[in-house]
Amino acid sequence: MRIYVILLTFLLLVSAFVAPGRAEVTAVKAGRILTISGEPITDGVILIEDGKIVEIGTGIEIPEDAVVIDAGKSVVMPGLVDASAAAPVRGDLNEQSSEITPTFRISDALDPQSKALKRVVQTGVTTLFVSPGRQNVIGGLGVVVKPAGKIPQQMIVKDEAALRIVMDLDSTQGNRIPRREPAINFYYRRPGIRMAIIWMLRKSFFDAQQQADSEQTEDPNMAILSATLKDEIPIHVNARRAIVIRAALKVADEYGLKLILQECTEGYKVAGQLAEGKIPVVLGPFYYYPGNMGQYREGRKVNWNNAGILAEAGVKVALSSGGQSGAIDILTAATFAVRHGMDRDESLKAITITPAEILGVADRVGSLEKGKDADIVVLSGDPLNVTTCIEKVILNGKTVY
Amino acid sequence: MKSRFHITFVLMFLIAFDISTITYASPVRKKLAVEAGRIITIAGKEIKNGVILIEDGTIKAVGTDVGIPWDAFVIEAKDKVVMPGFVIAHTSDGLDRANENMPEVPFISTFDSIDPISTFFKDSLRDGVVAMLVLPGNNTLLGGTGTIVKPYGRTVEAMLIKRYTGLKISLRPSRNTSRMGHMQRFRRYVSDLKDYLEEYEQRKADAKEEKKPFDEEIDVTKQSMVDLMNKKLTAFIYCDRAADVPKAIEIQKTHELNTVLVLGPDCYKAAGLIAKSKLPVILDSELIIWETNEQTNEEEMKVIPMIFHKAGVKFAFQTDTSQYGRRYLWYQVATVVKYGMKREEALKSITLYPAQFIGVDNRLGSIETGKEATLIFLTGDPLDAQSWVDQVMIAGEIVYERAKDERLKKLLEPPLVIQEPKDTD
Repeated sequence: MRIYVILLTFLLLVSAFVAPGRAEVTAVKAGRILTISGEPITDGVILIEDGKIVEIGTGIEIPEDAVVIDAGKSVVMPGLVDASAAAPVRGDLNEQSSEITPTFRISDALDPQSKALKRVVQTGVTTLFVSPGRQNVIGGLGVVVKPAGKIPQQMIVKDEAALRIVMDLDSTQGNRIPRREPAINFYYRRPGIRMAIIWMLRKSFFDAQQQADSEQTEDPNMAILSATLKDEIPIHVNARRAIVIRAALKVADEYGLKLILQECTEGYKVAGQLAEGKIPVVLGPFYYYPGNMGQYREGRKVNWNNAGILAEAGVKVALSSGGQSGAIDILTAATFAVRHGMDRDESLKAITITPAEILGVADRVGSLEKGKDADIVVLSGDPLNVTTCIEKVILNGKTVY
Repeated sequence: MKSRFHITFVLMFLIAFDISTITYASPVRKKLAVEAGRIITIAGKEIKNGVILIEDGTIKAVGTDVGIPWDAFVIEAKDKVVMPGFVIAHTSDGLDRANENMPEVPFISTFDSIDPISTFFKDSLRDGVVAMLVLPGNNTLLGGTGTIVKPYGRTVEAMLIKRYTGLKISLRPSRNTSRMGHMQRFRRYVSDLKDYLEEYEQRKADAKEEKKPFDEEIDVTKQSMVDLMNKKLTAFIYCDRAADVPKAIEIQKTHELNTVLVLGPDCYKAAGLIAKSKLPVILDSELIIWETNEQTNEEEMKVIPMIFHKAGVKFAFQTDTSQYGRRYLWYQVATVVKYGMKREEALKSITLYPAQFIGVDNRLGSIETGKEATLIFLTGDPLDAQSWVDQVMIAGEIVYERAKDERLKKLLEPPLVIQEPKDTD
């Protein structure tokens, strides 16, 4: 009996010492590897250690103790990056008591058990940017997350990744003076019209500038706006129509802000201007007739080749699901972008490395390179084919789907 | 002098008549031969480098060893894929309003409501659809009769293929009614109808006995329901939820109706029951749904057409206008092929099967000798997202050419660049 106990303790000890010391190596073999950053590799191997890519290429020796994932003739590409995803949050994303809430962080509300995350993984997305809702002029700070981890802290790739500003009429929704009641009422809120939205934005940045100059005790709201003025935090602006985009560019010009435009349904009309100002755009959601969707009345004049025209003009284009859980997945979005005239390689970049660059996480995700995170999607064939299915999704070196 | 004038007049008249006949005859050529790189016949195997011979808008021969007559006009399509045009067996798009407010209106017809200039038809033609049964919407118990049209023509009369086809019955309760009340309303209507018919027959018999002339016609508001009971019309029964399916099958059995089931996404739960009833099915355009397990709170993906396919149910697809993918029939087929259905079978669900469901399979749905020459010319494989419908031929007449599609050009090409005024201060 005692021998058994000793043996057991010994075994336990050995396992306890050995296990953490030996990092697990995973090798992914595939017929075709689309690295995105470089040329595609035929019959290549990716070696993964500690959730990072340590080696990629052909003729790599696979260590004996490595776990081999043989993808056969399948196509392998980096995990997709959705630069505007449906937020894995329970409950509403719009604060109703105030329009200017730069200090709100969506990272405080993340729900790792969210069903939206599980769905999104199955569409090949391994990195997503989520931000507060679209009914506040300045909604708050968004966060780049991965759909992995049991607690929010494990999910976060980059907190305070961007400040969300909405210049579309969405932020006026429901703002009315209640009938037969005085205007001094909790429910009476600005803005009601487009002019008011822009006025509120200008005022916020003006106040932030003033405060920065006066060096008084800092208001946390103003601190964040000051950080955006100093280009420390990027700004994501929702703007669909050409006139809104132009207005956004004007405000940005006044305060020296660096913008990233979201949605941009009529971006094709101002493609030249966007290219000139080196302003990246995150397109989506994509609908056949945007006019059919109640809240999309603003983006009625569509051009199917919006992405292609913008990319051709030299604008950095990312394709996203537009924060809508019901929208088409971004791989399908890329497929249709190519159908409507976008360049093939450009469209694949628009769902991987370009959104990673826009979000400032290109050092970790977006392409298959040595030292980057091992986020890999295994596909049964050409990624831009509707009949191709996603066979496997590897996230941080672990198979999650 | 007078006689000469006469002769000139007659000659002029003859020439004018001759010219007019020529100009009117030219759009439809008598004999056509299509040389195609690939022919997806649907009826049989695919043909590589084949010829389709067309006479008077009807297919005369298909194959690789078909000789082209000297007087046939040859359409070169060696780099194209030719297949039968797509058919939609159930749609409520293209109507100015899909639903009547009253619940029992079997006597109304979509023929009066079809809007020929609706973009739905133009877009459908661009996507390769050549025929669709337009039925009333899903909100009305006895919604009215449908119309089969082609998406081409300036008036409903010009678009018409077949009038008075199919009667829409919706089992989804309308506003302010329960499912109990809804079913009760249906049963009462049918029993009232039976009473009326009995009395009618009685009056007819009485007149015969008294040897009086009997010229009373059946009430026009009830005529379509009478035709439904006599199997002259097919019932398109809409089931919103799986619980409605047994009721639809019960209705079909008790009245022995020709029935096609139009299903909501939830109805996949009744797939076994539908398979047993052997009724044809039209699926919702939402092909993939996520269902939450109430115990574990885990979500599971359900690919609805695959569930029906495995149960052995014959189905057709329909479209909706909300999203890129769902708008296209080929996309729906590509989706089911992605999840493991065979291509040949999947392609039937947008061609032959819907044609059968709406009773036009003698004319449409496949490329066979004797059928109408209604073909689409694709730039590549039909399931490839990068293929476009290049031309559409309806009954031997080319009615759509992508090169001449102005709306498509507007949707794809950049607008004229307007010079932005520079700020000068």
